[in-house]
Amino acid sequence: MADRRATNRAMFWRILRRLFGANPGRLFVMLLALGSGAAVTAALLNLQVDAKRRLTTEFRAFGANVIVLPKHASLSGSETLPESTILSVPRNLGNAPVTMTASLYVIATVLSPQSGKSLSAVVAGKNPRLIGWVAPANATSLAPLGSPAIPAGPICMVGGRIGKQLHVEQGSTIILSNGDQKETCVAAGLGESGGPEDDQIVADVRAAQRLASLSGRISAIELIVPGTPGEIQSYITDLQRLLPDVDVRPIRQFTEGEAKIYNRISGLLTATVGIVLLLTGLCVMAAMTNVAMERKMDVGLMKAIGGSVRRVLRLFLTEAALLGLAGGMIGAAAGILLSIGLGKAVFGVAARPRLIVYPVAVALTIIVAIVSAYPLRRLASIRPASVFRGEA
Amino acid sequence: MFLRIVADSFGRRPRHKLLTGAALALGMGVATAALSVSLDVGDRLAKEFRSLGANLLVTPQADSLPLEIGGVDYRPVNAGAYLPEADLGKLKTIFWHNNIVAFAPILEVPVRVRTHGSENTSGSGILGNATLIGSWYSHTLSLPDGSSFVTGIEKTNPWWHVEGKWISETGDSCVVGEKFARRFGISIGDSIEIETSSDSGHEIRVAGILSGAGPEDDAIVVPLPLAQGMANKPGQYRKLYVSALTKPEDDFARRDPKTMKADEFERWSCSPYVSSIAYSIKQVLPGADVRVIRRVAEGEGAILTRVRILLWLVTGAALLAAALAVGASSAASVIERRTEIGLMKALGAGSGTVGFLLAAEQLLLAFVGGGAGYALGIILARLLGEKIFGAAPEPSLIVFLVIIALAAGVTILGSAFPLRRASRFEAAPILRGE
Repeated sequence: MADRRATNRAMFWRILRRLFGANPGRLFVMLLALGSGAAVTAALLNLQVDAKRRLTTEFRAFGANVIVLPKHASLSGSETLPESTILSVPRNLGNAPVTMTASLYVIATVLSPQSGKSLSAVVAGKNPRLIGWVAPANATSLAPLGSPAIPAGPICMVGGRIGKQLHVEQGSTIILSNGDQKETCVAAGLGESGGPEDDQIVADVRAAQRLASLSGRISAIELIVPGTPGEIQSYITDLQRLLPDVDVRPIRQFTEGEAKIYNRISGLLTATVGIVLLLTGLCVMAAMTNVAMERKMDVGLMKAIGGSVRRVLRLFLTEAALLGLAGGMIGAAAGILLSIGLGKAVFGVAARPRLIVYPVAVALTIIVAIVSAYPLRRLASIRPASVFRGEA
Repeated sequence: MFLRIVADSFGRRPRHKLLTGAALALGMGVATAALSVSLDVGDRLAKEFRSLGANLLVTPQADSLPLEIGGVDYRPVNAGAYLPEADLGKLKTIFWHNNIVAFAPILEVPVRVRTHGSENTSGSGILGNATLIGSWYSHTLSLPDGSSFVTGIEKTNPWWHVEGKWISETGDSCVVGEKFARRFGISIGDSIEIETSSDSGHEIRVAGILSGAGPEDDAIVVPLPLAQGMANKPGQYRKLYVSALTKPEDDFARRDPKTMKADEFERWSCSPYVSSIAYSIKQVLPGADVRVIRRVAEGEGAILTRVRILLWLVTGAALLAAALAVGASSAASVIERRTEIGLMKALGAGSGTVGFLLAAEQLLLAFVGGGAGYALGIILARLLGEKIFGAAPEPSLIVFLVIIALAAGVTILGSAFPLRRASRFEAAPILRGE
């Protein structure tokens, strides 16, 4: 009995081998259809996960989205925070770094010895040793232009509008004063960003602290928190719990806008990918079914020499599953490579391949292959004789 | 005879043709849906980005520098310049008027506030300082061409949420910032009295509580005329926020218009770059300085560009997959017809005739399948568009042509290889079944 089963099994595999070998053209076509489906599935699944994550880091372009202020910051604007607060702010959210800038604002008189003009302006002392300052995306317009030599004194970024009114040029010296305190620095920047920094002078935080006679104090900490809207919200909640003595606020213009845009884009991406996958699956299935329907002769012959419907069907389903496995493995590997390239093209950083995508894509391909071979079941009812006479 | 053979081939094997056609239609459906969405997504997302608020800021050219810390301006009221409110209608007459989604003039006045508390505890006056923000809310502006345009601060600052009611244009109502309201225990329905050094005492009713998580939480928002009255600057404003639909800036857009040649300048001003919109606003508002809010405009541009590329890539992948699957399907349909080809050749048909006949058949199928796929894809794109953006993309003729051409190209390419092999077949072995 066991012997017979072994012979049966050997025969089963032998027939299967022959089925594959019989028509290399057809084999190629089936592998092509299944493989391309698997490639797209793997590429899109991999890219979709990656793109959503990348998108949140793209929102950095908007600059700070969370701000830490003294608890009762009010109209007088004189409350400050100890500088050490910044040390207790968590540096990471997930594995993306949180960028932070400490700033101290003070109103000072700005004098340009060259043009002899002076005016009152807000001096924002920022801590450049942590990140520089929260610069708008167009950093080029704010970077020092055409100054090959590194200036001797400390640099301060002069807002475009102040620059115009004071007739200050790149590299000229300006003097900031508040009461008896005086600071000298070399003007740089002079770009217009449309934001409040156009009307401010950004200097080193130490200089601003000396100007305001508030050593070791800062007015605010600006944070760029990457992540999905939910992650940002929980970061804010956690930070508020961690630092009960300060006021942690989202810059709602950006957190809310980002949330809306993120949801839209990720919805769009999910829906597009979903539809593409669904239709690709159906398309592959239609192509495969078309091929499978051509197997009438084989089915007819097997029935004629005494194969039971179940065994015949099992034979073809196994063939389909094996094809699905082969096509899926080749296609999914190609797809993952493709998505790495695509990720590089879109975000400049190669998409990290996610291993889970591979088995998922292969499994989906096998399912599609088996389902598309299923119409062969209909062939169970055909009469071998009519097939051979060429009637059906 | 030729047509008869083609028609016969469709009639005789309807199921096969149906399946190949279905594969084609599905594949082209994917392509159509992805293409339509990609073509449309730029405009739709540009609208979404307006939830970030204004991307242009208009200030008086001769203005003194604001001494603003944490949203509070430390300048004296009389310092600085103002712009006339009457000119604002002109904003909707510029070349890019359709791209201007909303704008709101702002006049800020530092005031002292006397609170009455609630009705029954009237008289308990607490003095506090606050910034009065005068602006528009659903303001109907009649334009020079006779039409009207409704705009206001709720559109330029969409992250401002108001509990209760917004200010009404005419009444003496106000919206009070959340923190301010908490500090002085003000609730909706209360009355507060505001005064400046020049104007003493003005009673206004609190219609709502504003939360924006910014400096506005400490401010009082009132209709613009009221703030103008308090500041004694009738018909004037100090800041104007403009929210405009723009095209992401490229290197060309960042060039200085003054250095451009005439034809370059024309191209520049005919693209809705944020800088060219700023330029045309400046033309109609004399004495104003129009600045691009870089933080908003450039972040928007960067993300928009990325998302666009991303969707194009998804579209490309979809096209590729559809093409391969359809190609495979048509290759299969040719391979399976060896007997037929052998018969035709045995009856004296040349390789060219056989190839032409099969190609004609495949093309016919491509047009039918491609057409059906286009219809399917458009429906899907509509569903997608409505679900995500609340608006369906317009069906476009270009997409239709591209899809039909693609369908034809893919089927011909898919059948070309097996057809070439078929043309080399010897008739006799095939007919013998070898």
